[in-house]
Amino acid sequence: MTSALRELLDAGPRTRSGYAFAYMDESAKREVRRALLKGVCIPGHLVPFASREMPVARGWGSGGLQVTLATIVPDDVLKVIDQGDDQSMNAVGLRELIAATSGVPTTTDARAATLIQTRHRIPQDDLHEGQVLVFQIPVSDPLRRVSARPSVTRRLHAEGDYTALWLYLYEDTAQMGRSSFTHSYPVRVDDGYVMTPSPIPRYDVPRLHQAPQLSLFGAGREAAVFAVPPYTDVVPLAFEDRAFEPERFTEDCWRCGADGSYLDTEFVNGLARMVCSDTAWCARRRAAAG
Amino acid sequence: MSVALRVEDLTVRYGPGCQACAEPTASDSAGALCADCGSVHGCREVGFEVGAGEALGIVGESGSGKSTVLAALNLDQPVSGGRILLDGDEITAAAGSDRRRLRAESLGIVYQTSQQGLDLAISAGGNAASRLLAVGWRSYERVRAEALTHHESVELAGERLDTPVRAFSGGMRQRVQLAKALISRPRLLLLDERTSGLDVSVQARILDLVRRIRRETDVALVIVSHDLAVIRMLAERVLVMQAGRVVEAGLTDQVLGDPQHPYSQLLVSAQLT
Repeated sequence: MTSALRELLDAGPRTRSGYAFAYMDESAKREVRRALLKGVCIPGHLVPFASREMPVARGWGSGGLQVTLATIVPDDVLKVIDQGDDQSMNAVGLRELIAATSGVPTTTDARAATLIQTRHRIPQDDLHEGQVLVFQIPVSDPLRRVSARPSVTRRLHAEGDYTALWLYLYEDTAQMGRSSFTHSYPVRVDDGYVMTPSPIPRYDVPRLHQAPQLSLFGAGREAAVFAVPPYTDVVPLAFEDRAFEPERFTEDCWRCGADGSYLDTEFVNGLARMVCSDTAWCARRRAAAG
Repeated sequence: MSVALRVEDLTVRYGPGCQACAEPTASDSAGALCADCGSVHGCREVGFEVGAGEALGIVGESGSGKSTVLAALNLDQPVSGGRILLDGDEITAAAGSDRRRLRAESLGIVYQTSQQGLDLAISAGGNAASRLLAVGWRSYERVRAEALTHHESVELAGERLDTPVRAFSGGMRQRVQLAKALISRPRLLLLDERTSGLDVSVQARILDLVRRIRRETDVALVIVSHDLAVIRMLAERVLVMQAGRVVEAGLTDQVLGDPQHPYSQLLVSAQLT
């Protein structure tokens, strides 16, 4: 971290002249908000925006960060996670930056947060109305696999031609008996556009369907945002006679004993054990159990 | 016999066009290149009809416009003038999702090279299935059963349904292309030099296959070929093209047996027997 930025963080919000609330200047925020509004109006549609340089490298959540900074208000309570973990490096860095430049309080409790920025997970707690969930997106276009040219994928989106994705599904099913999409499973939003739900595991995909929160997606490197408004249909692509299958775990969480949460593998002294990916949720369960 | 395909005054021009090249009076032997404005006519005022279950051959030297006509029929090539009607519906200007649906549902094409018509990394079944998926089939079992039926109907072994086309020989790839073209039961089947580059015995078997398809379906067929023997065997009627124009048209036996136009005479006499 540069010393100037360190100084800025230490100084706290709105105490240093020349810096706006939540780091970004107002005109930049307005531009992101306009793109987001368009995204909310056309669920699942990729909206280009003027992705700025951020004090994190592109590919480290700069898209999600810009969405968060453009959306955050002083009344918000912030939670930032990386793969479900509040203490992972990416989460800590982003949280520190957002909190220091906006002055909003932070929490690890998904139920108490009003704004949650996430990388690759949806919190284990069911979210509620009024909450905003911001996703960091590495690859924004589900058709990127089909063509590297945005002009081609834009036309396919416009014509609703997702034949290539169905062909991947057919081919995977014929060769392996199931789909090979392990993350970023393509979903049809509001019976219209097909979008990538970001690299969340398949476990989280059905949890976007008719969800009460507003989901915003930001891809900094690819300069695109998209959105899923509350209570919107989000349906994974699957053949009628081959149901979509989320990951299933045979074990319970090694720490809290939870059955049915999404688990990660943790290595301790060379031994692998399965633990909840949502660390805050897991800790709360253990505290409640005493 | 009902008319399946009707083509009226089909013209494909590259370039602005001018008074001189718009004049249809230029002699037959004039080239496709306009001396005044430099426009090139891929084809010019080509008109014909093909009935359901009928086969039309198009012959002519390289550059005579055969493939341009075929590309226009397959909606790959925007046309400068004229109309294409399929079962009475005009499809000339179909664009976007209409064009995609027409191509997936009503048209089938077998290209000269399999790379053009197939995704070599995808299995034979997948290549054929893509046309069903494009028109909204969403049952895996039904798609697969249909792909298998057509795979076997072009005399490919069922156990090779899931083999990537890359591993197939030239003759087998032509069969996969045929299966892909026929899987959606199209109204119009376009064949582009389908047997060139194959050895004689493989060629003969594919020709037999096309004859069988003609017996069993009432698909309208347009065949483009250099090979007059192929045309003679498959097509009842034939167009002879030169420099983008149709110079002679008629029953295959008549045109190839007693050619009237000097160019047709040249073409027939140039054939090795």
